[in-house]
Amino acid sequence: MLPALVRKTWRDDRRAVFGWAAGVALFTVIYTSFYSQFQGAAELKQEALPKEMLDFLGIADMLSPAGYLQATIFSLIGPLLVLMCAITLTARTIARPEEEGGMELLLANPLSRTAFAGQRLAAAGAAITLVAAVPLMLLMIIVPRVGMDIPLSNVAAAGVGLIALAWCFTGVAFLAGAASGRRGTVLTITGVLAVTTYMAKAIAGMSDGWHWLRWLSPFHYFIGTDPLHTGWHPVELLTLVAVGAVAALVGVLMFDRRDVGV
Amino acid sequence: MGMTSNLAVLTEDLTKFYGQRRGIESLTLQVGAGEVMGFLGPNGAGKTTTIRLLLDFLRPTSGRATVLGLDPRRDKAALHRQIGYLPGELAFPGRETAEDLLRFFGDARGGVAWSQVTGLAERLDLDLSRPVRAMSKGNKQKVGLVQAFMHRPALLILDEPTSGLDPLMQQEFLAMVRDARDAGQTVFMSSHVLAEVQQTADRVAIIRDGRLAAVERVESLGKRAIRTVEIHFDDPVDPAEFGVLPGVSEVTVSGPVLRCTVSGRLDPLIKAAARHEVVDVLSTEPDLEETFLSFYYHSEGAGDASRAGA
Repeated sequence: MLPALVRKTWRDDRRAVFGWAAGVALFTVIYTSFYSQFQGAAELKQEALPKEMLDFLGIADMLSPAGYLQATIFSLIGPLLVLMCAITLTARTIARPEEEGGMELLLANPLSRTAFAGQRLAAAGAAITLVAAVPLMLLMIIVPRVGMDIPLSNVAAAGVGLIALAWCFTGVAFLAGAASGRRGTVLTITGVLAVTTYMAKAIAGMSDGWHWLRWLSPFHYFIGTDPLHTGWHPVELLTLVAVGAVAALVGVLMFDRRDVGV
Repeated sequence: MGMTSNLAVLTEDLTKFYGQRRGIESLTLQVGAGEVMGFLGPNGAGKTTTIRLLLDFLRPTSGRATVLGLDPRRDKAALHRQIGYLPGELAFPGRETAEDLLRFFGDARGGVAWSQVTGLAERLDLDLSRPVRAMSKGNKQKVGLVQAFMHRPALLILDEPTSGLDPLMQQEFLAMVRDARDAGQTVFMSSHVLAEVQQTADRVAIIRDGRLAAVERVESLGKRAIRTVEIHFDDPVDPAEFGVLPGVSEVTVSGPVLRCTVSGRLDPLIKAAARHEVVDVLSTEPDLEETFLSFYYHSEGAGDASRAGA
C-alpha cells in the first residue's frame, strides 16, 4: 500500500491534475486529429511568417509530418502547458501549505523531514509525469490513424523528451520551494528560468556566434536534437533527468536543514 | 538517560532567535511523565516558538530539547508517532470532509481504531461528514482536538486548545485532559488564559519575554493572589500607617476610606485596621487572571511583555 501522505497529496491535487491532463489532451487531439485540414493553414503560416520568426519558434518546416508535429505540439504550447502544470503542482508540495498554514499538521506526521519531502515530491512527480505523458500516449494512437508518416519510435522519443523536460523543471521548482517555502519564489525562479532558457535555445539557433548557448538550455536537450527526424538521444534525455534529480535532491537536503513555517 | 527517563519534556537553555528577533532565550523546563502542565504567557512571549522547537519545526539557535527521551530532529518519525499536536494557528490541508481527513491522520500514524475517532467526535458534538473548510472556527478546533487525541499519544502538545470553543465544549475538553492524565498521558498545553489551565493542570510554567518567569504548582497560585481591599473607618486615617505593612501597596486614603491592594495574606492589614473603628470592609474577589499574571508579567522589566507583540 502506498504511504498515506502520497495518497493524501494525490487526493488534494486530484482536480488540478485532471484539469491539466484534460487540457493537454484536448490541445494534442485538436492539433493532430485534423492534420489534413490544417495542412492548408500550415502552408499559409509557413508563407506568412518570416523565416526568422519560424526559427525563433523552433519551426523548421510545417509541411512535413514531423515538422508539423514539432511545430504544433512540441515547440511552444505543449511544453508551455506541461511546464505550467509541473511548476504549479510542485509549488503545492511544500511552499503552498507552508504559506497557507496546513503545513504543521502535514509535518506532524511520523515521518522524518527527508521522508516527508521525498513523499511529497514523489506524489507530485507522478502526477506531473501523468500529465506530461498525455501527448506521448495520444500521439502513439493518433499519428498512425491520421496518416502522419513518422516512425512511432521517433514520436516516442519526442514524447519521452517532454516528460524528461517536465522532470527537469519539476526538480528546479521543488528546490526553490523546499529551500524558500514561498510560492512566489517557486513561480518566479522557475518561470524566469523557463523563459530565459527557451530564449537561449532560440537565439542559439539563429546566430552562429551564440551557438554554444544551446548547451545551457533544457529545451535544446529536449527538442534541439530533432527526435522526430532522428529518434532517440539517450544522453540528452538523461542529462535533463539528472539535472532535475540533482536539484530535487538538493531541495530535500535544504528542507531538512531549515526552519519550517516561520 | 538516567534522570531524564521519567521526563516527558526536557529543555536545557533552549534558545531561538529569528535573526535579531528574540523567540525564546535560555529556557530550561521539565515536564514530568504523566503530568499536566500549563504553559502560560501573553501573546508573543514565546509559547508557540517553544512548542515548534519541541516538534522540530524550528531548530534551536542554542541549547537543546529532549522529548520522551528522544531527540526531536534525529528521532522525528518515532517521536511524532507518540505525540498528539494541536497547532495554535489551525489550518487544514485539502478540502476533504472531516472523516476523510481524520482517516488520513489515522493511516499516517499507522492505523487508529475508528471507534476512537467517532467516540471523540460524539463527545465534542462534531459532525464528521462535513468538509472541514466550510466549518466554523469552533468546529475546526474540534477536528484539531480529535486528531490530537485520536491515537492516544503518550504526549499531547496543545497550543491554545480552547480557542474558539464555547464554554460547554471547553468543559468537555478539560474532561478529556483529565481522562488523558488518568490514562497516564502527559499534557503540555499553552494558554494565555489562566482559568482554563488552573482547572486541570498540575503545574504552570509562566513565560514572559521569551524567558521562563516561574514554575508553580497550581495549588500555590491562589496564595499569591492580589486583592483590592477597601476599608471604611469612622474617622480619617493616616496612609503611612498602612503603607508599611507587609504585602500592602497602592494605599490611597480619602477621608475615612482607605483603598489598597494586598498581596498574599490579609492578616497584617486586618490587625492594623482593628486598631481603629471599622465601619465596613470590602474585598474584591481575587481575579487570578489579572492579578497573578500581572504579578509575573510586570514585576520585572515592567510592561515590556505587553509590548513584545505577536
